[in-house]
Amino acid sequence: MGDHIVSSYDQDLEGLRRTISEMGGIAEKMMAEATDALVRRDATLARAVIAADKRLDVLQRQIEESAILIIARRQPIAVDLRETVSAIRVSNDLERIGDHAKNIAKRVVAISEETQPQKIVLGVQHMSDLVQEQLKDVLDAYASRNLDAAHDVWERDGAVDALYNSLFRELLTYMMEDPRNISFCTHLLFCAKNVERIGDHTTNVAETIHYLVTGQALDEDRPKDDASNYATVPHEANAQGV
Amino acid sequence: MSAAPITTQTTVGHADANDRARVRMSVKNLDFYYGQFHGLKKINLSFYDRQVTALIGPSGCGKSTLLRTFNRIYSLYPEQRAEGEIIFDGRNILDPRLDLNELRARIGMVFQKPTPFPMSIYDNVAFGLRLNERLPKSELDDRVEQALRRSALWTEVKDKLKQSGMGLSGGQQQRLCIARTIAQKPEIILFDEPTSALDPISTGKIEELIEQLKSEFTIVIVTHNMQQAARISQFTTFMYLGEVIEFGPTPRIFMSPEQRQTQDYITGRFG
Repeated sequence: MGDHIVSSYDQDLEGLRRTISEMGGIAEKMMAEATDALVRRDATLARAVIAADKRLDVLQRQIEESAILIIARRQPIAVDLRETVSAIRVSNDLERIGDHAKNIAKRVVAISEETQPQKIVLGVQHMSDLVQEQLKDVLDAYASRNLDAAHDVWERDGAVDALYNSLFRELLTYMMEDPRNISFCTHLLFCAKNVERIGDHTTNVAETIHYLVTGQALDEDRPKDDASNYATVPHEANAQGV
Repeated sequence: MSAAPITTQTTVGHADANDRARVRMSVKNLDFYYGQFHGLKKINLSFYDRQVTALIGPSGCGKSTLLRTFNRIYSLYPEQRAEGEIIFDGRNILDPRLDLNELRARIGMVFQKPTPFPMSIYDNVAFGLRLNERLPKSELDDRVEQALRRSALWTEVKDKLKQSGMGLSGGQQQRLCIARTIAQKPEIILFDEPTSALDPISTGKIEELIEQLKSEFTIVIVTHNMQQAARISQFTTFMYLGEVIEFGPTPRIFMSPEQRQTQDYITGRFG
C-alpha cells in the first residue's frame, strides 16, 4: 500500500520491505544448505553457511536503523506504524533463524568425520523440510500480507513439535543401544532443537503478520506439541537394554 | 489518492473504551447550511464528560463548522443556519429562546489566533466575570488569580497585571485567552486549532494545560496536527465532506481505524 502524499515516505517503507525480503531469502538458503551439509557431512558447505550469517546480521541492523529513522522523522501511524514495528520484529526473527542455521552448520563441521548410519539423520532432514516449507510460506504471506496463509503456517507448527518429540525419543534409543552413538546423537539432538526453534520463529512471523494486517495481537494459545521437556528414560527400560 | 467511495451514511462507532463515561453533550441529526451550501450532513455524535475529544479531517470537512455550532458563534451571520439538536444539560443549544450570553459562559471557546482584548492582563481575564457576575473586588481578584494559575500563566504575569495583554508573546497570549475562558467556570471548552500559530515550546505548554484542564472540563478540540490529536485526546472524530466518517477511542482510531478513508487521511495518503 503506497501513495503517500510525500513519496519519499513510500520509498522508506518500500526499503524496509525489500530488505526483509532479502533477509528472508538468505535465511531460507542458509537453512536449506545447513540441512544439506548435515545430510552429506559436507564441512565446506557448512562453513559457507556460517559465513553467510554475517550478511544477515548486517541487514538486521540496517532494518532496525531505518525503522527507528522512520519513527523519528515521519511519526508513522496506523498501518504505517504497524508496518514499521513489524519490520523490526520480523528482522529479529529472521536473524535468529540465521543463528540457528549457523549453529547446525557448526555441528556439521564437528561431526563431519563421523560415519554413523545415514538413517539417523533422516529424521532431522524430514523435520527441516517441514520447517523450510513453513518458512517459505510465511515469507510469501508477509510479502503479500496474506492473513489466511499466515494462519495456516501458525497452525502447522504443532506438527513440527510433534516430530521433534518423536525424534528426541528415537535418538535416545540409539544412544542407549550403543554408547558410541552418544556424541553424534547429541549433536543431532541439538540440530533438531535448532530446527524446532526455527519453526518457532516462523510462527512468530505469522503472528506478526496477523498484527500487521488486523492491528490486533494473536492472543490464542498456539498449538504446542513439544513434550520433550517432560520426556525421561524409564529406568526399567534402561535395565532391560531397550 | 485513493478512490475509496464516500459513504453516504454517517458511520458512528461506539465508545467502547470509556463507555461508562457520562455523555456531556450529544449532537443529533445536525445539518448546517452556509446559504445554499450544505456544510454539515446529519451529524450524530456524543461528547463525554471530562474527556478530550479531537475533531480531525482535511480542510473544509466541517470540523470548525461543527465546533462553531456548540456555542452558536455562527448565529452572528444571518445566512448561516443549523437544523437538528445539540442536547446540553437537557436543553437544545439550537433553541432560539436560549440566552446566548449564558450559553457562551458555560461553553467557552479558544480560537486559532490568540485574541487578547486591547486592555490590561487583569481586565482581559476579568472581562467575562464583570459581564456576567457581580463580584466584590477581592473575589474578582481571587478569580483572576485562580484562572491565571490554572492556565499556567500566573508566575509569568503576576508582577505586570496592569500591563497590556497585547504585549505578551504569542504562547502567553493564548494562555491568557484560556485564562479568560476558564475564569467563567465553563463546563465545556472548545479549542479551534489553539496551537497552529504557536512555536513548539508554547504548543507543548498548551497541550500540558489541556491535559490538566480535562480533570475539570469537557474539552473539544479541532486540530490539523494528527500527532497532537493522538497525544492529548481520549476520543477522536474523523470528518470528511461534512460527515462524520468515524468516531472512537483515540488509540483505536490511530492504531487500527475501521474506515479506509480514516486510515488514508491519518497516514498522509490524502487530505
